This record gives sequence, structure tokens and C-alpha cells, in this order.
Amino acid sequence: MKIRAIAWNTFNALLRNKIIILFCAGFVCVLLLMMTPLLVARASRGTQTQEQMQAMVLPLIGAIMAMVSGFGSLLAAWAAADAVSGEMKSGTILAVMARPVRRWEFLLGKYVGVQLLMVVYALAMLGLNYLMASIGGASIQAAPWLLVIYPLVRYAVFSAVAIFLVTVMHPMFAFGIVLVMSIAAQIVAPSAAPPSWLPAWLRTGVFYALPSTGLLSEIRFLTITRATLKTAPWTDHLTALAYGLDYALVCFLLAVWLFRKRSLSRD
Amino acid sequence: MSAAVIEFRNVTKVYQRLFSDERVEALSDVSFDANAGEVCAFLGPNGAGKTTSISILMGFQFANSGAIRVLGFEPGDVRAKEQIGFLPENFAFYRYLTGPKLLHMHRALAGQRAAGDDALIAGLLAKVKLNGYEKLKIGKYSRGMVQRLGIAQALLCNPQLVILDEPTSGLDPAGRKEVLQILAALKAQGKTVFLSSHILPEVEQICDRVIIIDRGKLVRTGRLNDMLGSGDRVEIVVDRLPAELEQILAERGAVFERGPQAVRIGLEASRKREIAESLWAAGCDVISINPVRSTLEELFLETVDKKGAAS
Repeated sequence: MKIRAIAWNTFNALLRNKIIILFCAGFVCVLLLMMTPLLVARASRGTQTQEQMQAMVLPLIGAIMAMVSGFGSLLAAWAAADAVSGEMKSGTILAVMARPVRRWEFLLGKYVGVQLLMVVYALAMLGLNYLMASIGGASIQAAPWLLVIYPLVRYAVFSAVAIFLVTVMHPMFAFGIVLVMSIAAQIVAPSAAPPSWLPAWLRTGVFYALPSTGLLSEIRFLTITRATLKTAPWTDHLTALAYGLDYALVCFLLAVWLFRKRSLSRD
Repeated sequence: MSAAVIEFRNVTKVYQRLFSDERVEALSDVSFDANAGEVCAFLGPNGAGKTTSISILMGFQFANSGAIRVLGFEPGDVRAKEQIGFLPENFAFYRYLTGPKLLHMHRALAGQRAAGDDALIAGLLAKVKLNGYEKLKIGKYSRGMVQRLGIAQALLCNPQLVILDEPTSGLDPAGRKEVLQILAALKAQGKTVFLSSHILPEVEQICDRVIIIDRGKLVRTGRLNDMLGSGDRVEIVVDRLPAELEQILAERGAVFERGPQAVRIGLEASRKREIAESLWAAGCDVISINPVRSTLEELFLETVDKKGAAS
């Protein structure tokens, strides 16, 4: 009951967050701009072939996938950092922690609240993908769960890292570190071309220390030009998702351990 | 003797910045108790360490040394917090919630959601004069309304111990009076109240025990009646005072206040018998001899000033 109350309150607070509202407004504007040629083409369907429509819609779907993949992780990290530090800064944490709430329950409630937001985000992006595909006359031949579960596990990892960092530092530093981490994870991924200045031992070390965004990306199963998923054995999914959840759990437990003795005075 | 609800023994708290030698000793070997059923006033000038002490009691901060028990448990233990109602200084709320929604949330946080919550919450809001504002978001509340809501949430789960950090802050005189009435009612119910406040005349009306700290050190603690009654001066009221006797008494440290029908003579309690006999011998009519009871404010200022001068 306590964790649910904190999670629901966190979710409600994030939905009212000015930065998130601003982002949503900006996103809708960009999306409308991107959709304009598609809608115009659809209105004059007689002169557009099915292939031309698909050629227009597939980059849009690709852009939305990139939003889901890259921006979503950063949004999860920022929301997690802000959810915890915002309570400390405003002092609202004092009234909550004066109740019979354990510190780990507070952190877990915050974490679950962020995941609720990210579920809404992932489902909205998935819906948008299907909407684009239907406007463009294309169809996404993929299991929808894959397009939701993989991003959610990735968001779980990044939000856990952010919560861990924000227990010991300012949220802007925590977010900056997550941002650098996500970029570094791309650079050191085995599939990426290694920069010449980066020694192999360092690349390997960083690769193992950072969350593997490549492994946790649904895009590796997706042939974007056809908007269909490559088939993969279930063990592949199980291993990748278990890795992500394990990484998130370790980060979250570290956060709980650090938060145990954290002073709850206003920052 | 009543059981101690709060035990705060030899507590020291030092703030130190990371990677810096700068140290601030917020509390230095502070000890005090609060007993069951008492209203305990925790006083001190700004920066004395009151909020730090309360934060340690609530488990928000940790002492560097010392032993602390709240309702028999470690600070921050959920078994203790189940029985505590707490109002922090400058209480902050979720601005997007309404008063009733916030109180419902706090019921859930306390793990005490029940069918009768609506009636309980409506009753509490009426008690703190917030009925009629059920639909108003907290972000639109005035400072005084927020404080009233804070008091309502502190009383929400029928606490045995109520800890209030500046409960009358931001309230108008009528609001302060209402808070005092609520505190008096809690006292009558046998609850323990631990409060810090700067409005001493009001605190004096209800408190049983006083703890005064200054610059992180305990300056004085004890029962209010003992502390105020322990004044070492008396006042003798006589119908008249001959000039020659006035001079003699003045040499003995007496002070005089002449009224139209009587003269008030203030003097050290140890000299009251000797001076009263002198007055009688001089033919004066001694109307009364009363101990001079100082107010809590005078006691506080005297204690803090003495401490300041000594340091």
C-alpha cells in the first residue's frame, strides 16, 4: 500500500512536470511537421504509389524508434533523478518519511512511479509507430511485446543508475553521468567502429562496466526498411532481458544501500 | 514517575563538508528526556540546533555519537513512526493535490486506509478550519492554510507522540490560539507533545517541561513550574515606606515601586524575613509577601543571555 501510494504520487507528479509537458508539446510540433508530407501524400493518393508512401513512412518510424531508444533512456534517467532529488529539495520527503515508511520503500515507490511513466511513454511510441505505418499503408510485422519490453528494461537500467547516482550527488551531475554513460556505451559496443585513441583493454573494461544498450535494443531484431522483426530464439530474449533486469537490480540495491544513511535535510 | 517517551543522551552532531576541514558542531553532548503525557517545549534561539535535534529524533539525520530512543525504539524505526505525528518546520506539500487527497495519501503511507477515512479526514479539516476548501489545490493555499493542513496531517493517525517544529509559524493570532487549543486537547487525552516555538507566552500556557538549548549545547531543562518558581526574588507590598528605611533597604539591594496606595519592594528572597521584620518594626503595614514568578520569556532570555555572556 505504501509503495503503491508513493509510486502513484510520483507518476502524477511526473505527469505534471513542466519539463515533461514542454517536451511533449515540442514532440507533437515536430511530429506534425514530419507528418505533413505524409498526410498531403495520403490526401492525393491517386498520384502516389504504395512504395512511395512506404518510402515516406519508414524514415518516420525509424525516427520514432530512435526516440524510443535514445531519448527514452535519458528521459527515464532524468525522471528518476528528479523524482528523488525534487522531494529532497522541496522538503516534501520529510512528511513522507515521518510516516512508517522504510527508506527502501520510498526509493522503490519512486522507482516504480518512474517505470509507470515509462510504460506510458513506450506504449505511446508504439501506438505512434502503428499509426504512422497505417497512414503510410505499411504494416509493422513484429510482436508488440518486444517493442515494449526491451525499451522498458532499458529504461529500468538507466533509471536505476540515475537513482543510484542521485543518492550521492546533485541531480544534474547524475544526469550528466548517465548521458556520458549512454554515449560511452555506444562507443565501446563491439558492433561500433573503435576509435583509434581508445586502448583495447579500456574499451573492453568499459564495455563490461556499462549497461549494454546494444544487447538491450529491440532494434537489433528489427529490419527497419521492412518494419519487420528478425526472428530470434527465446533464449536470446531471456538472456538479454535477464541481463538488463540484473543490471537494474544491482544499481537499485546500491542506491538503497547508499540512501540508508543519507541525510534527508533539504539540499 | 512516567516513562520517557524521548530519550536523548549525550548526542553530538557535527556537520562536515566532503573534502573540507570545515566543521560545524550543531549539537554538543546534548541530553534531555520527554515523559509520557507531557507537553515539552524545546526552545532556543535561531541556529541553536533545535531542527537538527528534531531531525535526529525522526531519523532524518544521524548523530555522530550518543544514544537516542523514541517510544523505546531507534529513531526512524517504523514501529516508532507508527505512533508519531510530525510537523516539520516550513512544511512542504505536493502542490497539485487537494487537502483531502493529501490526507488520504498519508493514511495510505501509514498503512491505515480504512472505510471511515472520509469522515475522519473531514473531521480533521474542520478541526483546523479548512472545511470548505476541499476542492482547492494546495498550491493555491495561503501560508497559514498550509500550516493548518500540516497540523491536520500530524494528527491524522491518532499519534501517541506529536512532534511539532514551529507549529504556529505563519498563523495569525486566532490561528495560534486554535493550535494551542488543539495542543491542550492532546494533552488532556494523555498524548505527549514535543514542540519547538519562538512564541513563548503561548507555549508557557500549555507546556509542562522546558528544554533550552543554545549554540548546540543544552543550557537548561526541567519542569516549567520548578523553573519559573525557582525565582530568587520576592516582592513585599507595604502601605507606606519611611524615607530613612528606604535608604537602608536600598543599601541592601531592594528596589521600589511607589503606587498611590502601596509601595512594592523587590528584594532577594534570602533577605525577606530580615527586611519584613524591619518594616514591621518601623510601623509599616505589610500587605503581602509574594515570590516573584518570572515568565518563560524572561527565563529564556535570562538563560540564553547568561550563556552568551559566559561564552
